[in-house]
Amino acid sequence: MKKLLVALLLVFSIFTFANVMNPNTIVDVTIGEPDTLDPHQAYDKASGEVIFNVYDNLIEYKGSSLSEFLPRLAEKWEIDGNTVKFKIRKGVKFHSGNELTPYDVEYTFKRALIGNPGGGPIWMLYEVFFGDYFSLKSAVKGLTGHSWSELVNPETKEPVNAEAKQILLDFYDKYIDSKVTVDGDYVVFHLAAPKVYFLNIIAQGSSWGAILDSKAAMGLGLWDGKKDGWWKFHDWKKEDSPLYAKEIGSGPYELVEWDRTQQKVTLKAFDGYWRGPAKVKNVVIWGVDEWSTRKAMLEKGEADIAAVPAQYLSQIKGNPDLEIIEGLPTVSVTTLNFNWQVKPDSPYIGSGKLDGQGIPVDFFADKNVRLAFIYSFDYKKMIDEVLDGYGELVPTALPKGFLGYDDNLPKPKFDLAEATKYFKRAFRGQLWRKGFKMTILYNTGNAARQKSAELLADSLKKINPKFQAEVRGVQWPTFLDARKNGKMPLYILGWLADYPDPNNFIYTFYDSKGDYGYYYGEKYDQFANKPQAFFGGKSLNEMIEEAASLTDPKAREEIYIKVQEFVIREGLGVPLYQPVGVRVHRKWLKGWYPNSIRPGDDYYHYWKSDK
Amino acid sequence: MTAYIIRRLLLLPLIIFGVTLIVFSMMQLLGEDQLLAAYVDPNSLDKMSVEELEMVKEKYGLNDDPFTRYVKWIESVAHGDLGWSIVGKEPVAKAIIHRLPSTVELALYAIFPIIGVGVWLGVQAALHRNKWQDHLIRIFSIVGWSFPDFVFGLIILMVFYSWLGWFPPGRISLQVENIINSPGFHQYTKLVTIDGLLNGRLDVFWDGLRHLIGPILTLSYLWWAYLIRITRSSMLEVLSKDYVRTARAKGLSERVVINKHAKRNALIPVATVAGSMIIGLIMGVIIVETIFVRPGIGSFAAKAAGQLDYASIMGMLLFSSLLLIVGNLIIDISYALIDPRIRYE
Repeated sequence: MKKLLVALLLVFSIFTFANVMNPNTIVDVTIGEPDTLDPHQAYDKASGEVIFNVYDNLIEYKGSSLSEFLPRLAEKWEIDGNTVKFKIRKGVKFHSGNELTPYDVEYTFKRALIGNPGGGPIWMLYEVFFGDYFSLKSAVKGLTGHSWSELVNPETKEPVNAEAKQILLDFYDKYIDSKVTVDGDYVVFHLAAPKVYFLNIIAQGSSWGAILDSKAAMGLGLWDGKKDGWWKFHDWKKEDSPLYAKEIGSGPYELVEWDRTQQKVTLKAFDGYWRGPAKVKNVVIWGVDEWSTRKAMLEKGEADIAAVPAQYLSQIKGNPDLEIIEGLPTVSVTTLNFNWQVKPDSPYIGSGKLDGQGIPVDFFADKNVRLAFIYSFDYKKMIDEVLDGYGELVPTALPKGFLGYDDNLPKPKFDLAEATKYFKRAFRGQLWRKGFKMTILYNTGNAARQKSAELLADSLKKINPKFQAEVRGVQWPTFLDARKNGKMPLYILGWLADYPDPNNFIYTFYDSKGDYGYYYGEKYDQFANKPQAFFGGKSLNEMIEEAASLTDPKAREEIYIKVQEFVIREGLGVPLYQPVGVRVHRKWLKGWYPNSIRPGDDYYHYWKSDK
Repeated sequence: MTAYIIRRLLLLPLIIFGVTLIVFSMMQLLGEDQLLAAYVDPNSLDKMSVEELEMVKEKYGLNDDPFTRYVKWIESVAHGDLGWSIVGKEPVAKAIIHRLPSTVELALYAIFPIIGVGVWLGVQAALHRNKWQDHLIRIFSIVGWSFPDFVFGLIILMVFYSWLGWFPPGRISLQVENIINSPGFHQYTKLVTIDGLLNGRLDVFWDGLRHLIGPILTLSYLWWAYLIRITRSSMLEVLSKDYVRTARAKGLSERVVINKHAKRNALIPVATVAGSMIIGLIMGVIIVETIFVRPGIGSFAAKAAGQLDYASIMGMLLFSSLLLIVGNLIIDISYALIDPRIRYE
């Protein structure tokens, strides 16, 4: 018996030592797994990370920068008004062995525009190519006057009649075919308007800018590149895409397997990669959802990189084998937003009057009220107690690290005395005397938002017992409906960057046509369109749109700072926090660099070494 | 007996239908909104307009009323299609089939130590009633009974993996995964250890086994607690029976009395429990599989429930009720065979 035990121990220890460090493999233990590997459907970080490593884009970010670019599949590029021209690199091979040509680039972007799956990322391409339309269906409707369902039979996916077919063919000729064209070694993009952030939208890190192997795509049954029948390739379900678990890229790694039973993605270095093969031959991205298990694997050295939620960080601090990098900026913000004109039938404004039993519909059109609310939120408590310190204050909804971010701008402050001062001024003192009643909604399941709303309600009550804000959780669509229909007086929402350009935040939050601004109500729209002396007679919307159309970063930065000063002065909503991230890997992993917009690791630059 | 079996088999689809109907109805109480969350990443959810949400709902049939949805589900099941598993990222039937070998392998290896050691300890406790052995075994059993399974699993993981480095999580190590996926290796049963032996690869067998020990230890301890109690009380009851006293009075040796007369009778209730335990093992390894990162149906079911992936939940329900009903039928029949006094009408 003893001999057997000794023998067993020996066998186990051999295995143990062999597993300690594998110089040819990087094991990244993370949470979850990709959603899909189809670049035009993927809209989450886990999918993005795999796509980032197996595909190439036309350009990439320069190291950690979010605004400077380096050539990738494009050797160089020129921007001339609405036109952006890329010279396509020669001699690049796809994993299939096919050579990359400018046609592959053209095919890729057209396939994206045609496919445009609902809920996916392609709306960004629509924004730059079409301006006022954000999806194929809305473009078809707006530009042909016919809705998609009038033209295409949902069962057969064929046009309902010959006339409908002609409309669809014409639409392709006029609006899809003309957006991306090949001109010798160049691919030319024809945008709706000069939009400098087009480069951010398609740079490496965004799956929707990844270049597909057109021949391989057609071989898999994707769009055949022809105009006849293009409609059949629109809005596929995730699982129906042949690229769901396959890749047809030219990136530094090839997909070996996506083992969905184990939540494990295995990659191997592509020997024919145009920049030379990656230093580490194999990469395993493994979804290990249980923290204790991830921790054990990291400590044993079987994992090189691990996802560490902030609350567990203290458990691994002090481990000499680990490199822990804290305070990494993320590209998202959670904000408090005001509706300037609530619909009178809203169930969330009590009596709808300033009688102590409700709020008037234009409650937040009063600057004093907005500023008073901004001073009423305990930002520090939120960050310290709810986020365990992993968040920081920013002056406006523009996250740290973006062009136009200025740390010198005043950050929101929790100051009950100031809040009281503004509340007393509001509605000529009547608000203070009568008090108010309102409901703050949050989407159930989102604990951070619930806590934020409760903190705010608590402060309001402390300021004046007549200030009553009820915090109520509702289902997500109810929440969205209430926002869309202008029924929510104020709401807390987050925004994660799609591309790292200030436009993705400033326009979204403060332009009255932006994703957020649009829902601040008509009164806000009038305000945002009103000429302001502060802007030398221009309106807020004009300033924001001008910044988006400029190409000179310096000039854009100036406008964005000016816009933010105005936002702070007028109390146009307030950021509650920008989460900060943590990075943990074994010290023997070298070559990591931060870049907050990247969906995950850039394994191409890594190697493993004891030194 | 035959009539009984036929009757039970005929009832089978009805029971399954009933179970799915109840669970499906309960899931509908959550509403389409909750179901939607399973289809859309929370980050992109924040950015979606109501129109976009509608598009997604339309695409996945979430706008259909519950009745239509249920009928559609039944229709597709009739065609052998259990739908698409959001958590499994593949069709539900495939997701279950792909995850089953891992769970079966674990159950297969765990069942021997569980029953062997559990019954032995229970018998020993009964034979040494109120002596130190009995007390020790009972304390051991009570601790196991009251221990939360995830805590015990984590302790096993910490001691045997973090400290000693012996039994890692997962199903196989990366090196062995390469061997298994190589063309020369035949996966006959999809059970790592058995395929390792069939291919003559002892290293694969060891690696598979090494990954099994942690979960087996965890599962065993938790089940021992249960089995010890049952065996002990059943054994004590039998030991006080007249026929045991008679056997002893006849002058039979204690060994013969215990093994031939007492144990055999005491094990009848234990056999019933052991039978349902095998089913329970296959279905109930959720925590163990999650902690030890084993890609089995336990962790799959847990994730499906957590994400409200209704196709997977319904698929697992179908599978588990089938397993339970057929399993119980087999147990009932074998019970009748073990104990001739039992007759089914």
